[in-house]
Amino acid sequence: MWSFTMGVVLRNLQKVVPLRRARLRKDVNTLRHILGIQKFDLGIICVDNQRIQQINNIYRKKNVPTDVLSFPFYEDIRPGKLPCPLNRDELNLGDIFLGVEFVMKQCQEESLDLHGALTVVTAHGICHLLGYRHETEEEWTEMLQRESYILNEFNRLTGSHLEPLMKKFNQDR
Amino acid sequence: MLKSVVRAVGAAVRISSATTSTARALPLSCPTLCSPSSATARPFTRSLWMLNSSGASSGYRPKLFSSKVLYPSVSCGCGGLHTEGDKAFGDFLWDEIKEEKKIQKNKTLPKMSGGWELEMNGTEAKLSRTVSGEKISVTFNINNSIPPNFEEEVDQGQQKAAEAEEPEIVSTPNFVVEVTKQAAKHSLVFDCHFPEDEMGHGDGEDESDIFAIREVSFQPDGDVEWKETSYTLNTDSLDWALYDHLMDFLADRGIDNTFADELMELSTAIEHQEYIKFLEDLQNFVKCN
Repeated sequence: MWSFTMGVVLRNLQKVVPLRRARLRKDVNTLRHILGIQKFDLGIICVDNQRIQQINNIYRKKNVPTDVLSFPFYEDIRPGKLPCPLNRDELNLGDIFLGVEFVMKQCQEESLDLHGALTVVTAHGICHLLGYRHETEEEWTEMLQRESYILNEFNRLTGSHLEPLMKKFNQDR
Repeated sequence: MLKSVVRAVGAAVRISSATTSTARALPLSCPTLCSPSSATARPFTRSLWMLNSSGASSGYRPKLFSSKVLYPSVSCGCGGLHTEGDKAFGDFLWDEIKEEKKIQKNKTLPKMSGGWELEMNGTEAKLSRTVSGEKISVTFNINNSIPPNFEEEVDQGQQKAAEAEEPEIVSTPNFVVEVTKQAAKHSLVFDCHFPEDEMGHGDGEDESDIFAIREVSFQPDGDVEWKETSYTLNTDSLDWALYDHLMDFLADRGIDNTFADELMELSTAIEHQEYIKFLEDLQNFVKCN
C-alpha cells in the first residue's frame, strides 16, 4: 500500500543518550492520536546539551541547555484551535527539539524512566505548537490543564503514570 | 522563522501492514546549525589548486621548443626513463610526504570501543565481533570515501578567510553490516551510509541522522558476491516505524551513532595511512631504483 503521508519525522543527531527510536515514535503517535492531530506532520529532533544550548542561545538568547524547544509552523493560532491548512504543505505543525541529554540527567537525578520523561516533554512541546503559552499565570493554567488532559489520556491508554512538566508557574521554560 | 523539518520531506512512502498512520522518507531538511562532528579529522592539505597555477588566463605561454621535457637528463643505466620532470616530481613528493606525516595524529589506528576486531584487506576494512553466538561484521572500503570539498572553489578574495578555517578531510564510507545467526542459512545485510549534509556540505539548515540505512536484504551466508536476486528492501519508501525498528535492531548490536562516529574516525585514519603509503610508493616508482 502506498501513501503520501509523512507523520512524524524523527531525527537522532546525538550520541550521548541511547534512544529507542521505535518506542519514541510510538509514544509520539499516541500523543497525536489523543490530540486528534494525526493528519499533521511533526518533526522530532533529538539533540545533546551542546546543540540545544546553541539553539536556545540563538533563538531565545538563553545560553544554557534545556529540555525542549518548539518551533511552530503556525505562530498565531488560538490555543486549542487546530490550524486550517489550505494545502498539503500546510499540514504541518512544526518541529520540536528534544534535549535528550538534559532530560536524561534529570531522570538520573530523580530516578525516572527516560522514555516516560521524553513523552512528558514532547507533550509540552506539542502544546506550544498548538498555540499554548505560559508567559502569564492565566496562560500557564490553560496550558497545564491541556497537558494534564493529554497525559491522563496517555496514562489511561498505556498504563503509565506520567505527570505534566510544569507543576508551578514558570515563565522561563 | 525556521524552516520546518517536515515541510522539506516529500516522497511516496509505503505503509507496512504493521501500521496505517505514518511512513518515512529520506532525506529531509531541518532547521539547525552545522553539526560539530566529533570524529577526529585532519586539516585539508592536499593542494590540488597548485596543479592549476598558470595557464591561458595568466598570459603565460610555455616555450615549447626550449623545453627539455622530451629528453632524459639523467642516465644511470637502469633502463628506465629519467627526466627533469621526474626529479621535480620526486622532490615534490618528498615534501608532500613530510607534510602529511607531520599532520598524521598517530601511527597506530584508533580503536573501536565495544570489542570489535579489525581485519584489513587492501583498502577494505572489516570489523567483526560475536555477541551471544550471533556474528556481526561491518565492512567498508576507504577508496572514494572522502566527499568532494566545496571549499576549494572559493575565489581568490575569499581565500584568506578559507585559510583561517581549514576544511578538514573526513572519510565517510558506505558500510555494510552483516548479522549472522547460528545455524541460519542467510545473513541479514544492511547497506548503510553517512548522509552527505551531515558532513557540513549543506547550507547549514539541512540535517540528517548521523548514519542511515539505505537497503536491507538477506544474503546467503559466506557468499562474497552480492546476490541481486534476493529481495532488497529500500528505505526510501519504507514505513517509518519499520525503519526505526531496524535502527534499534542495529543499536542492540552495537551499531549506533557512537559506532558511526568512531567508524568515521577509523576510516579517516586508514585513508590517511593509505594515502601516505601511496605517495611513498609513487616516489619509489618515480625515482631511480
